[in-house]
Amino acid sequence: MGSRQRQRTSALVVVVRTFGELMITLGIVVLLFVVYTLYVTDVIAAKKQDSINDELEQSWTGPVAEQPSQPKKQAKRPAKPQQGSGFARIYIPSFGTDFQFVIVEGVGSDELEVGPGHYPDTALPGQPGNVGIAGHRIGKGAPFNDLDKLNSCDAIVLETETDFFVYRVMPMPEEVADWNTVKRRDPRCARVPSLRQPNQPEGGPYSRTVGRRIVTPDRGDAVAPVPYRPDNPLPKAQQASLVTLTTCHPEYGNSERMIVHGALVNQVPKQQAGSYQTLLGMIGEPV
Amino acid sequence: MYGWIWRHLPGPLVVRLFTAIALIITIVAVLLFVVFPWLEPQLPFNDVSV
Repeated sequence: MGSRQRQRTSALVVVVRTFGELMITLGIVVLLFVVYTLYVTDVIAAKKQDSINDELEQSWTGPVAEQPSQPKKQAKRPAKPQQGSGFARIYIPSFGTDFQFVIVEGVGSDELEVGPGHYPDTALPGQPGNVGIAGHRIGKGAPFNDLDKLNSCDAIVLETETDFFVYRVMPMPEEVADWNTVKRRDPRCARVPSLRQPNQPEGGPYSRTVGRRIVTPDRGDAVAPVPYRPDNPLPKAQQASLVTLTTCHPEYGNSERMIVHGALVNQVPKQQAGSYQTLLGMIGEPV
Repeated sequence: MYGWIWRHLPGPLVVRLFTAIALIITIVAVLLFVVFPWLEPQLPFNDVSV
């Protein structure tokens, strides 16, 4: 009787102990997964970003160096970039002067692992219409981690082979109504438009375009040429030049998307600006 | 569980120690290079486009 009791106890002990050990193991595995998602993916993405940055640099400097005496090319139409290739850079000075990412063509998971992705079929930097760019908020370099901290008039710079295009975040919803007064607080706001037309019903085609919005994931029209107007009410020549950044929202969820809209205020040829550092001084951003 | 594995590892203490470390490294490597890369894309915060 006594020994059977001991056997049963020890069997129970084994079961409980094994269960405990499994639980502790599971906890460690989950922790490891968190470290992987938040940090290891950053390292992997940084490597991919580095190599695509080198490729882009080469494609920009290569041909020019070969034919330095060629006369200035007459405003050649920018070619449609190939899926997965890097074709431009994005800078957001308020995230730090070292914030820069190569933008790749496409918004699939393979492209977004490398860097912010350009929605195919949206405008290219500087063109009239809407340059749509998606980026991760968590992990994989998290280029758009701080989109919620952007204020109106903060610069979003897109660099192409030939130019820097300076966009600035449009007025926030609470600033739109009296933007002409509000914008005087900051000289950088001088050329930031609200795109509202008071004589038109609801303020015109851009009435729903503000600095930052939270939308449901089905709002593909956030990157439409005229945001939130899939009916596309304006011919291309009359469209404002905008940039639209999209990322997940809430920060660790996918029930919504965070959208940031900026308007083109400046185009500076790279021959004139030289480097991004010089450009920052030219556009009144702290260097 | 861990006690059972330890008792079934062959050889003297030093060999067992190395086998145990090798086992741990193998499991972590499988997690990092196979399981996590498969699991991670299913997380909700990868949906960043509209």
